[in-house]
Amino acid sequence: MITIKNLKASIEDKDILKGINLEIPKGEVHVIMGRNGSGKSTLANVIAGNEKYEVDGGSITMNGNDMTEMSIENRALQGLFLCFQYPVAIPGVSMAYFLRAALNAKNKHDGKEEMDAVEFLTTAKKVLSNLGLDDSFLKRSINDGFSGGEKKKSEILQLLMLNPQLAVLDETDSGLDVDALRTVAKGVNEFKNDNNTVLIITHYQRLLEYIKPDVIHIMIDGKIVKSGDMTLVHEVEKNGYSWLVK
Amino acid sequence: MLKKIQKHSRSRFEELGYPSKKLENWKFSSSKHLKKYSSNNSNNKDISVEQYSDEYTLCFINGEISLESLNKFIYKDDMIILDIDELKDESICSTSSNFDKEAFFHLGLSTIKSGKYFEFKEGCKFDTPIQILNVYNKNTEELRISSFNIFKLNQGNNISIIEQDINEGSGSFNLSLNKFICADNTILNHSMMYDDSTESNYLGYNYYELERNVLLNIDSMNINSTFNKNFIEIDLNREGSEVKINILNLARNEQHLDNNILVNHNAEHCISVQNVRNILNDQATCVFNGKVVVADGAQKTDSNQSNKNLLLSQNATAHSNPQLEIYADDVACGHGSTTGALDQDSIFYLRARGIKETDANNILVKAFAKEILQEFINDNIRNLSENNLDHWINGQYN
Repeated sequence: MITIKNLKASIEDKDILKGINLEIPKGEVHVIMGRNGSGKSTLANVIAGNEKYEVDGGSITMNGNDMTEMSIENRALQGLFLCFQYPVAIPGVSMAYFLRAALNAKNKHDGKEEMDAVEFLTTAKKVLSNLGLDDSFLKRSINDGFSGGEKKKSEILQLLMLNPQLAVLDETDSGLDVDALRTVAKGVNEFKNDNNTVLIITHYQRLLEYIKPDVIHIMIDGKIVKSGDMTLVHEVEKNGYSWLVK
Repeated sequence: MLKKIQKHSRSRFEELGYPSKKLENWKFSSSKHLKKYSSNNSNNKDISVEQYSDEYTLCFINGEISLESLNKFIYKDDMIILDIDELKDESICSTSSNFDKEAFFHLGLSTIKSGKYFEFKEGCKFDTPIQILNVYNKNTEELRISSFNIFKLNQGNNISIIEQDINEGSGSFNLSLNKFICADNTILNHSMMYDDSTESNYLGYNYYELERNVLLNIDSMNINSTFNKNFIEIDLNREGSEVKINILNLARNEQHLDNNILVNHNAEHCISVQNVRNILNDQATCVFNGKVVVADGAQKTDSNQSNKNLLLSQNATAHSNPQLEIYADDVACGHGSTTGALDQDSIFYLRARGIKETDANNILVKAFAKEILQEFINDNIRNLSENNLDHWINGQYN
């Protein structure tokens, strides 16, 4: 599904990613954990093509297509979805308009017909209901005046509506109360199937109580230093990251 | 009486001369290019306005009212319509002391051929807005066309006026002077739409005199004018009145759009809100000079000024000068100004959902503009403005 080879990236001449190697096969859930400032969110942004970051070397391949130099929107159209850690507020653009624009861009790319308003509303209302959100959510401006929980639910709503092949969840669990965390996890589990892939970036194990990962990676100073199963999470919870620093 | 006023204005113009950049109101807008325009003396009587006018429309041809449209005008029996020359009370024509310092105001007044006084009979409420269509039919280049009209609202009036310009022929200089007198308990909605592609210059002086419990909405959208400078001055003379001003300007190439707004809170318990947004591309420039003066004793004033400028090009320039002058001690006054480019994080967010970069830019420009348009009081004007906005945006990037 996605293969990252020796990926190096910097921002304003500061090296952040120092040679990331990662392979996530189709149907798996992988988790990246690490301290603040280890480069986890940079990796998520670089995968999504954020132009603030400079890619200094290496490659990102998804389904055999080299995405390293691909535009942000083309990556999304190829099936990549970044669940933002800090979703921006865009006053004046309704969620409905935005979601339809995104869905229709995808449909156009996939050679499908544009979704009409009725079909869109039927689909959106079903997803909203599953996330415990009111239909009026669609009329609100993108993330404008949303609570922390609503912002994250808005990201999951988009994930479920756009149904990508690869979802990168950048600290989607941060700042959520237990109920919101359950709702978000439920949404991710609903999305997950054997034909797609999830990469979760997180600080804590609490999301992993609801979503069962296949592989855990530990990232320190811009590199993945160790990979393993859930026992690695428990070790990190118990002993911190120091023992992993060479 | 008109001759007397014009004589005064001629002498004031001679005293003042053309405005220089030393004057605060003209610091960022040159008047040099306006000097070449000479006064219009053409005969407008033979110009038909049939194609434009319906029973709700008052047509002005080169600054003079069209009798053809006046005869058809549905509300004429609910109004007193006079030539300004017929007015007995000279004070009806007086405007603000600030306009008296404006050379172009006097140049306009001294060169009008006639002017009209429209008084609405007490209690009249019109369901359909009055459309004022200024048709500029210019057979000769470099013409300056001046107009002066006075509108008086009496107790209980609820009037909506939509003002639009239609330019035919070559570019010119349209100098428009208006006075609005709003008596107690009146509602005035004044919408101004400037969508001109004939390279004309517009300079407007709009003065509003408000008594008790008046609600005044001023909505304006400027698009395509080469040079558009609008002075708005409002006197809130008695308590309980409210003013809302929403202005959206779109400019590209070397267009210059300029809003000078002065709100005088002369009485207690009045509210004023100014929202002015400019979207500039290429080498376009804009000016916002907004001032609120709260007089001594105008307690419980609630006033807010906001100017936001979106620059789509590194060569576009916005000048913003929001000012407050407060002489009362129990007031709530705020002002703010922002100028910047499209937010890169927002563009990234939209693109990360598969939306093309040009579409993402367009969505954000539209959102910025729509926050003003959604405040427009008249549904038709709001829809028309949104259409104009779409056309402008589509021509911008695509």
